[in-house]
Amino acid sequence: MIRGTVVLLAALLLASLPSPAATADEDCLMCHADKDLKSAAGKTLFVDEGRYRLSTHGQAGLSCVDCHADLAKVEDFPHAEKLEPVDCSLCHDADAAAVAASVHGGPHEAVNASIVVSCKDCHGTHDIRKKEDMDSTVYAINIPDTCERCHLDLVKTKRGGDFVRGFNESVHFQVAKKSGLSISATCVTCHGAHDVRPTDDPESRVARTAIIRTCGRCHAGIERSYLEGVHGKSYLKGLENVPVCTDCHSEHAIQTPGTASSSVYATHVAAVCSRCHDDENLARQYGFLPSRLRTYADSFHGTASGFGETRVANCASCHGFHDIRNSADPRSSIHPANLSATCGRCHAGAGPNFAKGKIHVVSEKTEAKGTYIAKIFYMTAIGGLITVFLVFIAVDLARRARVRWKSKKSR
Amino acid sequence: MEIQKEPLSEPALIRDDEVFLRMNFAERLQHILLVVSFTTLVLTGLPLLFYELKIFKSIFASARAFQFRGFLHRAAAVVLIIDSLWHVGYVAFTRRGRQNLKDLLPRWKDARDALQQFGHNLGLTRFLHRRGIGKKFFARRPFWLFEKEPEYGRYNFIEKFEYLSVVWGSFIMILSGFFMWKLELSLRLFPLWVHDIFVIIHGYEAMLAFLAIIIWHMYNVHLNPEVFPMSRVWLNGKITGHELRTLHPLEYRKIIEERRKAAEPDAPTWS
Repeated sequence: MIRGTVVLLAALLLASLPSPAATADEDCLMCHADKDLKSAAGKTLFVDEGRYRLSTHGQAGLSCVDCHADLAKVEDFPHAEKLEPVDCSLCHDADAAAVAASVHGGPHEAVNASIVVSCKDCHGTHDIRKKEDMDSTVYAINIPDTCERCHLDLVKTKRGGDFVRGFNESVHFQVAKKSGLSISATCVTCHGAHDVRPTDDPESRVARTAIIRTCGRCHAGIERSYLEGVHGKSYLKGLENVPVCTDCHSEHAIQTPGTASSSVYATHVAAVCSRCHDDENLARQYGFLPSRLRTYADSFHGTASGFGETRVANCASCHGFHDIRNSADPRSSIHPANLSATCGRCHAGAGPNFAKGKIHVVSEKTEAKGTYIAKIFYMTAIGGLITVFLVFIAVDLARRARVRWKSKKSR
Repeated sequence: MEIQKEPLSEPALIRDDEVFLRMNFAERLQHILLVVSFTTLVLTGLPLLFYELKIFKSIFASARAFQFRGFLHRAAAVVLIIDSLWHVGYVAFTRRGRQNLKDLLPRWKDARDALQQFGHNLGLTRFLHRRGIGKKFFARRPFWLFEKEPEYGRYNFIEKFEYLSVVWGSFIMILSGFFMWKLELSLRLFPLWVHDIFVIIHGYEAMLAFLAIIIWHMYNVHLNPEVFPMSRVWLNGKITGHELRTLHPLEYRKIIEERRKAAEPDAPTWS
């Protein structure tokens, strides 16, 4: 708001200054109102005065030479073909400084050094509009189109064009584009506008250390819930490997848990959690129990989920999601005292017997003696009986072959 | 098996082409219901044991297909339960059923028969004896030479073993399966670790039954050169006098004895 006022005041000041030698807009439009006016290279030099008057600069009463300052003193027309680039920083100094410090501030050596982004690439030229204007290139709903003009194919991030394209499948994009929800997250909501920084820059809004706050700006309740759980507490301690929002939900292609292609869809949850919780090294490093995926897959829940059954329990069904707590925490959904309630969400009338046993058995020998003994018994029985069967059959066939051979010989 | 000729003096009380009823219609239907339900149960149950196999993942590629698998499994289980109850009733309340059960009960002779059949097939002791090894032992215990094949009654040890395995297996599978189906009931009655044992037993007993059928039963009623490609008893229930004489000589003689008694009531008993 303050910035807007400053801009307006500056514009008014510029417009009201008497400058008799200055070129008037009419002088420019004598030529540039011609729709067919083209440069030697064939580029149109037409300026749509009507659209300019509707633009934020036109509304503020800025004249052509306020921006094309090098033409202010020119008296011979037509002027030279090559003009100085417009310097927006004369008015927009704070924004220009932010851009200069951002990934767009200079040639991006890592991607393509020949590309330098300037203000007009996002904001346009003569028909720049305020970001609150639905026709603006930087209006929330139009932002993805604006950014994707470069970021789909021209300038790929380290993870390729499809990484950005994934955003178009996301719930954020879909509600913005299809339902026109202007407060949905678009590129600038997470990455910032003028101060976009690479992900590995610690000052980036999407850096691992900052992403919780970035998502939490909209998803405040989830942020609080996350920070109360084991992951959030470890995050606050600065643990490097702790999962942040994007680790489970993905970065661009975030979808609702009910969408079949979502990374947190019922049948995909186990794969997401097990990236860490089936990892022996991480388990040793942070002292949590390994083999969570294997032991889940062995259970009916895991087996059925593997076949695409969504009604069976996945990790989140029992452990919760944003505020996952250690089983020793009395508020944990898997604290022994809460198991009846947790299991009871699916198994109506689940009683205390649900807690009298072990889920995620890694070593049956020590953790589940009953099933261990049953398994040993059956493995012995199966091994023994099958051996007896096969030996008996082999000997039977051998004798038949012998008898046949003998009778042939005697004939 | 070698044909054991009856003494020539024996009047032909059973002709070789005479047809006997080995399995009546009720027994055959019980067996067919068992085949259908067992096969369905195995096919719809194996995917849960071998959930990593690609073939099962492609057969049950959707949640709906997987749910249908579960429905089929429980439907087949109901068929098996009904079949089992029918069989129990049949054995308890019909004279033929009771007689069958009596004939199927294991006796010491069956263990002896199994050993004798195996020893006879192997022929090791006869070989040793020919080489003059263990002469004294074999003179005292000629049984261990296994010169002859054992003579079987209505049911040989293989058939008895299979029958009792089915009874035992069905009982275990129905019991554990019932509690897996009615999980909430199971966990009202038992702690989770007991229920976990049901689950393990259900899977392993299934494997045992599956392998026993595939290896043992398939050999004895299909691949065995004597019946290859298939014994037809389970379809038409018929067995010929010849088969009776060679495969079930004790039953054969019992029938002859009965017929002889019927023909001349005062004749001395056959021994």
